Parts: sequence; C-alpha cells; structure tokens
Amino acid sequence: MSWIGLDRLLLAPDASRRVTPDLDHAELCRRALCLAGQWRAQRLRCVALHLEDAGDLAIALLAAWRAGASVLLPADAQPQTRQRLAPRVDLWLDALAGADDAEPLDAAVLDLDQCRLTLCTSGSSGAAKLIDKSLRQLANEVAALEQLWGGILGGATLVGSVATQHIYGLLFRVLWPLCAGRPFLRRAQPFPEDLQRASLEKPAFAWVASPALLKRMGDNLDWSALRAVRRVFSSGGALPAEAAQWLHERLGQWPTEIYGSSETGGIAWRQGVEPWTAFPGVELGQDEEGALNLSSPYLPAGHVEQTADAVEIAADGRFLLRGRLDRIVKLEEKRIALPMLEQALGEHAWVAEARLGVIQQGRAFLGALLALTPAGVHALRNQGRRSVTETLRRHLAGHCEAIALPRRWRLLRQLPWSPQGKLAQSTVETLLKAPRPTLVESLSAVEQDGEWQLELEVPLDLAHFSGHFPQTPVLPGVVQLDWAQQLARQLIAELPPRFAGMEVLKFQQLVRPGDRLQLSLRFDAARGKLYFAYRNDAAACSSGRILLGAAQ
Amino acid sequence: MSDLQHEIKNLIIDALGLEDLTAEDIAADLSLFGEGLGLDSVDALELGLALQKRFGIKIDAEAKDTRTHFANVASLAAFVSAHKAA
Repeated sequence: MSWIGLDRLLLAPDASRRVTPDLDHAELCRRALCLAGQWRAQRLRCVALHLEDAGDLAIALLAAWRAGASVLLPADAQPQTRQRLAPRVDLWLDALAGADDAEPLDAAVLDLDQCRLTLCTSGSSGAAKLIDKSLRQLANEVAALEQLWGGILGGATLVGSVATQHIYGLLFRVLWPLCAGRPFLRRAQPFPEDLQRASLEKPAFAWVASPALLKRMGDNLDWSALRAVRRVFSSGGALPAEAAQWLHERLGQWPTEIYGSSETGGIAWRQGVEPWTAFPGVELGQDEEGALNLSSPYLPAGHVEQTADAVEIAADGRFLLRGRLDRIVKLEEKRIALPMLEQALGEHAWVAEARLGVIQQGRAFLGALLALTPAGVHALRNQGRRSVTETLRRHLAGHCEAIALPRRWRLLRQLPWSPQGKLAQSTVETLLKAPRPTLVESLSAVEQDGEWQLELEVPLDLAHFSGHFPQTPVLPGVVQLDWAQQLARQLIAELPPRFAGMEVLKFQQLVRPGDRLQLSLRFDAARGKLYFAYRNDAAACSSGRILLGAAQ
Repeated sequence: MSDLQHEIKNLIIDALGLEDLTAEDIAADLSLFGEGLGLDSVDALELGLALQKRFGIKIDAEAKDTRTHFANVASLAAFVSAHKAA
C-alpha cells in the first residue's frame, strides 16, 4: 500500500491495488481515461454527478478532471434541483455507462488549480448555495487525514453509511482511500445490520458513519466481532454524548467525530468528551460575537471563512462548541434552512405567516406554527384540519427533502409577535411542544345586573376538532357545557362545586373553528342553576341550564 | 384487522410522533416508505428499535431480507408474529 497524490492517480495503473472489492486501480484508470476521451470529444465543460456507486464516482471524477471539465455534485436529484442547475451543466449523470468505444486520453498529472469541484448546500440565507473547490484544497485535506489516521487504518476497507454527494462522504469514502490504496465499498450501508454484514466480510474495516446511524445501533449486533473496527468516524452533525458513550462501552474505543462544513472542509476532530483539536494547518479565530472563523489549506489561499458556530478557544488551541448563532438547523445531518421553508409556506394562499421550529421527541422533526389567511380558515372549516395540513405538506414537498416536512402543525389566527415585533425561536418551540388547546380564553367579560357577557373566539386548532368530525370540524356540545362551567367559575365567586345535571339543553347552530361567540352566564343561587347561552351575533347557537350542588 | 396489526399501527404513530394520524388512517397494505405514509430511512431505524423493544424480538442482523418486512403493516405483523413464535 502506497500513497498516490490526488493529482497523480491516473499515472500508475496497478492491477494489484484495490479500489473497491471488485475494481482494481488499473481498471479504474482505463475506464476513467476512456470516459475522459468521450467527454473531451463532446467538449463538456461541466458534469453533474449524482452516482450512488462510489466506484463509479471515482472513475467519473477522474475522467471529468482529465477531460478538463468541472464537476458539480448536486445534493439531491429532485426535478426542481435539476431544473435550477440545468443552465450550469452540460451533462447530468445518475448512472455511469461504459465508454469503451471512445478513444482514451493519455494518462497525465491533473492540474491542482484548474480541476474544480462544486458542492451544493443550503447557505445561511436559506437559498441553495454552491461551493467551489479546487483539487488542491481536496488534495491537502486527504493528505492531512492520512497523516492523522493512516497508520491506524492500515489496509482496512472503508465501509460508509453516508452519501458521497457531500464533502464528508466524498473525502472519507472515496478520495482518501483512493489515494491511500485502501479499498472502499461502492454502496452506502445506511442500516446497522447491513453495515455489520459488509464489515465482517472484510479482514479489516473502518466506518464512515453519521450520528443518524450511530445513535441507533441496536443490541442485536455482534458487538464482540465489531470491536475489530479500526476507527469509527462520525460527521455531519453533533453526536450525542450518550451515543458516543454507548459505542465506547461496546467497541472499546470512542467514535472519532469530525467537525467541519461543505464550505470549510474539515476543521477539527475529537474523541469522546475531549475538546476539539484543529486539523493540521487550520488557523482559528473568532468574530466579535464569538463565532468561529478560520483559514486553512482546505480553503482557497488567503480566504477567511466565517462560521455561525459559537466557540470557546482554550489556551492550548483546542476548543469547545457552543451552538449555532443563526437559523439553520440540522435534522439527522441534513442542513435545513428554516427561513426558506417559511417563505415557501407563506407563498400558499392559505398561509399568512409561518414560523418553524424543531421538536425533539424520539427523533427530531420540524413543527410549523401558522397564521392562516381568511381563505385558510375557510378551508379549515370546510375541509378539516388533516386536509389543510396534508395540502400544505404536499405544497412544501416540492421545495425540500422529505425529512424537512413538518410533522406537527399549530394553526393560529396570528403569530404571537411581541409589541417590539419579535418572535423568539424559544416561543415558537414552546408553542409547538404544547398540546393543542382544549380551553378557550375570554377576550372580554362584562357584568350587568348579575349577568355576564363574554366575548370568545373558538381556537382554530382546538384538540376536539380532530375527532369531531375530521372533515367538518364542529365544537362538541359537551365542550360548550364544559367551557360555560369553567368560565363561570373564573368569574362568579362561590359557585357550588358539584355538577348535578342539565336542563332544557338546546343546540341550534353548529359552532366551528375561528367563530366569534358571545356567551351569557347567569347564576341563580337560590335554585343552584347556571344559565348559559352561546350566540354567534344574531344567531343563537346553544343554551341551557347547568345544575350545581354542594359537595357530597 | 388483527389486534397485532392494530398494535403495530399505534406503535408507528407513537414512535414517530405522527399526531394527525389514527390507526384507522393506516391501511394494512399502505406502503410505509416513499409514496404512501412517506416515512424515511431514519424512521425505519426508529421503527426497528421500537419493534424490538415492544415485542422483545431480535431482528436478525444476518438476514438479508429484513427490510422487505418493513413494506407495510401487514408484512410487519407477519414478521413480528413469526419471530415471536420462533
């Protein structure tokens, strides 16, 4: 096993050097140079690669760079993404066909500065962002990885659970092993059982994994056999401390966490609870808000990249992460820009305003707090809540990956902006965490001659509406009785505590989400009767008498 | 609908926080992933753990066809009862 620089991979075809279990280095070079010949003849300038097969990706990357084409790695292959990127790319590949009939190009050194790669991620503005890198940046980074862990990995096969469209999977699953002469698996293994099977087939193995997988490794795995793993890499998001501890107990080693981003490449690494250690050559700094910035050999020369991650840098140069300072969240290692989704929701005719937040309940998912337009309220009243949320989910599905679709919805007349025009993320998340309302608050309450007049607004999102009835939500009579009693107890002192029955109940008109109601309440203490009547302007909705008695 | 299918439907709703759904909304042959219920691979992981915990079964890490049992509620119920009996 010997190191070959990223720029020199096409120079030394070697049939004894493994690339994947079924692909050797000589075949890799032959196929890449044929493909390069074909692409050169077609005068391609930019190729978009969305290849699940990491071996094919290695071939296509080298071919494009040899042919003088730049490579774009789209984050997904959705129709909107293809359409958006279409003006930039000459060819979009979802699978690699052979190009054996093309005249191959000669082997050559790749130019470290002319060969380009573009990664896609969601930037802090919420719009998709393209990040351009030179081969030099990538070559510097894989050399640093080899310096840190090459000795420990030895001849281990790299088994990964993550996609190669993003920087972490691309470097760790493809480019680094390719340069080191370590075999890597063609396919990602996203499930623990598959990861185990693929690993134990190899004499030595190491994992390129993510927290999504590592925090869900069950006790059904053969942990004593898996202890042979040379190294467990984790990146894409924070690995919960409990998950790291759990793996440490079973594997006898801490997972090696990699901190970085598409923009920066690798920044630092750590094992267990220790502070982060910067990669070789990475220079750290902070802006006035305490957010980390850095320059590094994996960034363009002279560039200082500002992150939104708050850090505390210790005297020895190692550091602690203190959370993000903006509104990009990560769900299972997927970066989700909340502002973009909120804007997309706001474009629907039923939505006046939307704010999103993260709910942690088992897995983390998004919840949406919505202020409905009059059209949205109309839809809710006439089609029911499920129909409204399903329609909005489908509307959003064209704008984001499935993982970002809200699973919980809270429907309001308006968002709870503070008088200063602020709506804290913590407020949004508190409202999303709370169960749907079951009670009503009075907007006003006036007493005249022993009779109270209350003004009420029936919450749009009342929990009772789901069962009663899903397509045409109406306020159940029993809830109207309950509200009358509850509100009366807040206003009228010394109301007898015990419910003893009802008289002359009349339900004349249905009450629906968002209705504005007038409730009159009068207590006849001599007879122990609470008189109530709900009106919706001129129309009587319901009325009756609730009998109340002393505690038994 | 068998009791086991009903239990699995409620387990899916609870484990994945699908608050707007009831067991009646999930047909036994509704595809759980992709089109259909729209679950993703992380849901599959969560669901696998929840099934192992609730029914005390071990999902055989060696079996190659485990994931095909996750197609819908009916196939999951068949999978769970086979493993409980085993």
